[in-house]
Amino acid sequence: MKAIEVQSLTKQYGSARGIDGLTFDVEAGEIFGYLGPNGSGKTTTIRCLMGLLRPTFGLCKVLGDPVLPGRATGHDRMGYLPGDFKIWEQHTGRRALCVLGSLGHGNAFLKRQAQLAERLDLNLDRRVRTLSKGNRQKIGLVYAFQHQPDLLILDEPTSGLDPLMRQVVLDLIREAAEAGTTVLLSSHDLSEVAAVCHQAAILRKGKLIELAPISDIVQQGQRRLKVWFAQGTPIPDMPKELPDARIIQKETSCLEIAHQGSADRVLKWLAQYPVERITTPDTSLEDAFIQYYQKENRHDS
Amino acid sequence: MTHNGHAPFPWPLLRFWTRQIFPMWFGMALVIFLFQIAVCAIVHDNDKVKVFLQFLDMLPAFIKSMLGGKSLQAGNVAGLIAIGYNHPLVMILYMLYAVGVPTNLLAGEVQRGTMELILSRQTTKTQVYACTGLITVMGMFAMVLAMFLGTVAGTTLYTFTQDVPLTDFFKIAVNAGLMASAVGAIALLAAACFRRPVAVGLTVSYLVVMYFTSFVSEWWPRMAFLSPTTLFHYINGFDIFVKHVWPVRDMTVLVAVMVAATILGSLIWQRRDLSA
Repeated sequence: MKAIEVQSLTKQYGSARGIDGLTFDVEAGEIFGYLGPNGSGKTTTIRCLMGLLRPTFGLCKVLGDPVLPGRATGHDRMGYLPGDFKIWEQHTGRRALCVLGSLGHGNAFLKRQAQLAERLDLNLDRRVRTLSKGNRQKIGLVYAFQHQPDLLILDEPTSGLDPLMRQVVLDLIREAAEAGTTVLLSSHDLSEVAAVCHQAAILRKGKLIELAPISDIVQQGQRRLKVWFAQGTPIPDMPKELPDARIIQKETSCLEIAHQGSADRVLKWLAQYPVERITTPDTSLEDAFIQYYQKENRHDS
Repeated sequence: MTHNGHAPFPWPLLRFWTRQIFPMWFGMALVIFLFQIAVCAIVHDNDKVKVFLQFLDMLPAFIKSMLGGKSLQAGNVAGLIAIGYNHPLVMILYMLYAVGVPTNLLAGEVQRGTMELILSRQTTKTQVYACTGLITVMGMFAMVLAMFLGTVAGTTLYTFTQDVPLTDFFKIAVNAGLMASAVGAIALLAAACFRRPVAVGLTVSYLVVMYFTSFVSEWWPRMAFLSPTTLFHYINGFDIFVKHVWPVRDMTVLVAVMVAATILGSLIWQRRDLSA
């Protein structure tokens, strides 16, 4: 079953571009990464899914129901964390969360709310205006998770949190997915997407430029080789016959090379030198991401 | 959508907003209540009334016109007590509530970013709009009731030489409540269409233009044709205090304005995107 279905979703703000013809699905129980730089259309997509924006064209479904703008489609089974979380500042976190939590059926969320606050080391009895940005973000996280929803839509969930707390949040996301919750995780922090997501979509200027498993996205980036030459060997320069390879770092006896595609030609070139050791450092998702954008920029130009 | 197919009415939101508004409402209602008692305290004594009218005669004619015009005569108890109903202070308090509440709740929550959270729960835009409208209209009529109770308390505390037609005061209070609610509906329409500062600015501008049009049309006979274009025209003291009947036609016009503005606002609110 698909938890989210997006078909040809387009949103324009007057003459300005929002998103353009997005089509993708998210399977139930999946953690889906939604990547893109600022202004690429991530938040616009999410707002369309939440029924806060009226699409110019296209359709989206959540939990099997078509989203009708302003009609709270599926909201009884959804948890949502906006990218710019703001809550009534004059109230305590507990009061604000309880008002929002009680909009709907029942108040079964209170126990879970207390558990989440404890886990996130959050004092819910302080007024929101006295809280730091990180603690306000924690209130947002409690808000999103407190109903134990079937679908979680999280827009930049770790924004403003310290590294330790980021790990707690990633653990919460993993645990929710293990319990059967579908998660749409929008972020431009690529390491956190790589840490928890099964599949990811990459957005650029409102268009979907990639939709693939995280491992495939990483693979499509430039790969690296780190080569240690025998003592006293002069470090060679990269020959012109290898246009897809370039030297990243050159030390007295070590060379770091980035290359595109197969390593065969690079290894054959290295074979003419006395090489002591070769390692292959992990390609980071950041590298892959930058590659995507460079590739798309080349297409544009 | 929900367990039984529809979103339950957001009573917690209605309660939350009512509690937020209550201190301001209570302060305004108390001032209006006490003001009616003060008016009764002044006008129950004929000597004080004469001094008061002499004082008014020294001022420019339009001030007397604003306070009740020809009905301000020693011996016309109803006309004198009615000063408490059309005094600028009371009018300003009503208008503050009528403009402030819908713009603060609807446009204010959008501006603060909290509307996004409210609408991310099982709450539809129509329900949020209905909550705002309910608080505006109910608060307005509760304030009108406080005004009437002020008159009842004042006429009980002080002895008048003539009978005070309390039924007529109840009628004028309801008429005033409808007028203020119509203004509230126009403010709600503005809040549904625009950001908060624009909504407040437009509604206040509309009120100022309406007030001065009303005043000019009363003061300058050649401009009398403008009078029906203002909502103030539809508070009909003549029918109430002279004929002792409900001003049905005027109340119908006010209800029509209120319903039309509310429906139009609801349609626009439904179509409007929440700003990113």
